[in-house]
Amino acid sequence: MADVRISGLHKYYGAMHALKGIDLTIADGEFAVFVGPSGCGKSTLLRTIAGLEDVDAGEIAIGGGVVNDMRPRDRNIAMVFQNYALYPYLTVFENIAFGLRARKFADSEISKRVGDAASMLGITALLDRFPRQLSGGQRQRVAIGRAIVRQAQLFLFDEPLSNLDAKLRDEMRSEIKRLHKNIATTMIYVTHDQVEAMTLADRIVLLRDGRIEQQGSPLDLFERPATGFVAGFLGSPTINLIPAVMDVRGNSVAVRLTSGEMLELPADKVQSAAGSNGKKVILGIRPQHLTRAGRAALPKGQIRVKAVADLIQPTGTRTYVTSRIGDVAVTAELGAHDVHEQGATLDYAVDMNRCVLIDPQTDKVL
Amino acid sequence: MALPFSRLHDAMSTDTYGHRLSVFSDRNFKYLMVAPGILILLLVGIFPLIYSLVVSFQNITMTDVDTSFQGLLNYKQLFRDARLWQALGHTALITAIALPLELVLGFLLAQLFLERMPGRQIFVALLVLPTVLSPIVAGATWRLMFDVRFGPIGQIVSYFAGEPVTLLWTVNPSLVYPAIIICEVWQWTPFMFLLLLAALSNVDQSQLEAAELDGASYWRVLRQIIMPAIKPVVAIAVLIRGLDLFRIFDIIWALTEGGPGSMTETISLYTYVIGFTQFDTSYTAAVAFLVVALLSVIVTLVLRRMELVK
Amino acid sequence: MTALTRRQRRALTLAMRYLIAVAVTLLFLFPVYWLFMISFKTPEEIFHVPPLWLPGQIQFNNYWVLFKDGDVVAILNSLIVAGTSSVIAMVLGTFCAYSLARFNTGGENLAMWIISQRMIPPMAVVFPIFLIYVHFGMVDTFSGLILLYTAFNLPYVIWMMRGYIADIPLELEESALVDGCTRWQVIWKVVFPMARSGLMATAVFTFVFAWNDFLFALILTRTEVITFPVQLTHYMGGQSNFWAKIAAMSVLGTLPIFVAVTIMQRYLVRGISLGAVKG
Repeated sequence: MADVRISGLHKYYGAMHALKGIDLTIADGEFAVFVGPSGCGKSTLLRTIAGLEDVDAGEIAIGGGVVNDMRPRDRNIAMVFQNYALYPYLTVFENIAFGLRARKFADSEISKRVGDAASMLGITALLDRFPRQLSGGQRQRVAIGRAIVRQAQLFLFDEPLSNLDAKLRDEMRSEIKRLHKNIATTMIYVTHDQVEAMTLADRIVLLRDGRIEQQGSPLDLFERPATGFVAGFLGSPTINLIPAVMDVRGNSVAVRLTSGEMLELPADKVQSAAGSNGKKVILGIRPQHLTRAGRAALPKGQIRVKAVADLIQPTGTRTYVTSRIGDVAVTAELGAHDVHEQGATLDYAVDMNRCVLIDPQTDKVL
Repeated sequence: MALPFSRLHDAMSTDTYGHRLSVFSDRNFKYLMVAPGILILLLVGIFPLIYSLVVSFQNITMTDVDTSFQGLLNYKQLFRDARLWQALGHTALITAIALPLELVLGFLLAQLFLERMPGRQIFVALLVLPTVLSPIVAGATWRLMFDVRFGPIGQIVSYFAGEPVTLLWTVNPSLVYPAIIICEVWQWTPFMFLLLLAALSNVDQSQLEAAELDGASYWRVLRQIIMPAIKPVVAIAVLIRGLDLFRIFDIIWALTEGGPGSMTETISLYTYVIGFTQFDTSYTAAVAFLVVALLSVIVTLVLRRMELVK
Repeated sequence: MTALTRRQRRALTLAMRYLIAVAVTLLFLFPVYWLFMISFKTPEEIFHVPPLWLPGQIQFNNYWVLFKDGDVVAILNSLIVAGTSSVIAMVLGTFCAYSLARFNTGGENLAMWIISQRMIPPMAVVFPIFLIYVHFGMVDTFSGLILLYTAFNLPYVIWMMRGYIADIPLELEESALVDGCTRWQVIWKVVFPMARSGLMATAVFTFVFAWNDFLFALILTRTEVITFPVQLTHYMGGQSNFWAKIAAMSVLGTLPIFVAVTIMQRYLVRGISLGAVKG
């Protein structure tokens, strides 16, 4: 059990600056998820924590002690690899026992720990098999078992589910979450899948180009993104980004779309609109915040917009409808039976309380 | 039950001439493609073997063309031919020393170049050079190197010994085998190196990283991860090199010509001597057959072991 | 050592590796250097005691002699024999390989038989072949040697090209067939371009095998089609080694091979391991 403190971390691959000054603290027992597009540095960051990569500047401390100059084996870390890294010539039992044997544990202790881990993961019946005789999900369990028996102070997962099919991935995801609940060890998990990040994390660390773009709880990042990039990365379908211009008239602040519609912003959305009249912004609205408006008057902060349903994609539970609003294609997530016909004109209720305004120059959320 | 159906099928597929032709050509396409190649292999690979089998039962010598069948006469003689068994012994000796040496040295070299280092490609390209030389050139090169008066080896040894040392590499009975093995190992260690470097590079990196995190010692990693992973490649490399060593001829021809006396005469050299200098035709055919038989047994055994590996 | 950081330890290891790498490479290249250097020496320098590690000057007389005496004909012969047999082996072998790879003609047994042909010791077949060649008057002819090298290289070509062709996605050929190509057009327009690098690499290796061969050439040539390795052995006789000629001829006979293999380095491992290691 240990916390992880990282300060001023830099990593170069030749001329490529892979990590550009990472400062990060992960509390003891926390489940942290590093997420971001490919090439953002999330795997590199994980591998520097494991000691599989050297760092060029900065400090990594695990459980209070600086580990920069420690070999991976001395850091007391367990890691689950993307391809599971099972040893093909050893049985499942020996695979799980490998780390214990390397550390010269007594045979009785080894069989006890392997037995416990196997029953926790439901793979007791597979202990005599070889990795090639296992399905993808079973291999995943063995890899996790290998990490558990070590009783390491820190667990690292490097995209562990990306080689599984969708159904297994859902299953293993809940299993990993349950595992964390049971053994309460600090875990760091790397993924490019935002659903995995949202569902697993206590804390999401969103990386972009070797920097931390934003970190916080999943809902925090989802509801209060710091940048347009964060807003666009999280959420499915992705957030709608509509170019607009600020329109300030006395106390009322609105945005004007290129097609001419004026959408008034709620007062609490804008602290100080002074001097921002005519400023170009990007209006971000999640598909979930465009709903079908009824006949009745809309609640405060919601605005009625008429649009034609150009494209209808039912998913069973919900239906995604794409329309043109403000000269761009905007997707709304409506009820399964809200729309039936392509070309129908719809009354949307746009929830301006939940919208974000992004500065197109800096990508910062205003 | 199936018969009427297949007849029906035949009847349907032959209803027009053109259709039948296209089926015909498509079906035979694959055989047409292999025919010329197989024909040459039969002509130059199999027919001579059969021919020599026939000859081996006759009694043709330089002076006497006796084509009557002599039964197993020549094959009986094989067992009384001490020089033949010595030649086989020489071949086995060279193989038994050179092959493990090449394997171990090749493995060490591969370890040296396994991790990335700038300029690795250039090192590898240079190290490969001996292997692509004609073995005759390799033998000739070492003959120049070993020369007692004008070669550098004696000079270097003398320098380190501090006094003039005369080493008659190709004449001194205790030095001819070291000379042959040095040349052989020099030429073929890079072969092992290349194959083992490829095999080691293909070992799953994350398995090694996982073992490092688990705190496994180098020997444990070598024994339980690296060795099993490169075993198939080692088997192939040993098979290819073993077969080459069994028929070793060129290097020895260039270095010692089998001498002094017949001290370094291998099975290929011996076959050459009785066939092309003594023209003991039928007996040579019998020896050639013994060699093929021996080799088939060895290869079969090796291949069977390799299947166990898989 | 404890004072060193991991970074410093790594730099130290790298320096050590470089040191050993350079030493080993020099060791392995020294004989080649020696051969190369002798080819530029004058007779006085070659037969100097103690041996000289550097020629006094670079002079090409040793090469000039080979041209003047007509010895380079052996190189020309090697080129004709190795070149022609490679081309024939490539054409016949590639068609065989296509049939084996795509139609599984003859099953695994035929493939194993073909590769086992490569494992027969040359000495065992060359003797009866010699007898047959004597009978048909094919000893010391270009066609005789070319036929033999073709047969000798065919198993290799078939085996290697079968692997390269099997690497081409079958869907590409199927899509061409659906698009209206005939079988021959598929081979010509899809298979050959896709397997081009494999074809090139295999052709280079068959050329090298034929070029480097000594045994067949020794037995099946006399005066007319002497190849370069045989010519080389003519210079080695008892005490009267023509060292200058050996060195110059070896260099001439090695340069084309070295160039070819260097160009094909990417395929070297696959080529020499009979396709077992894809490198």
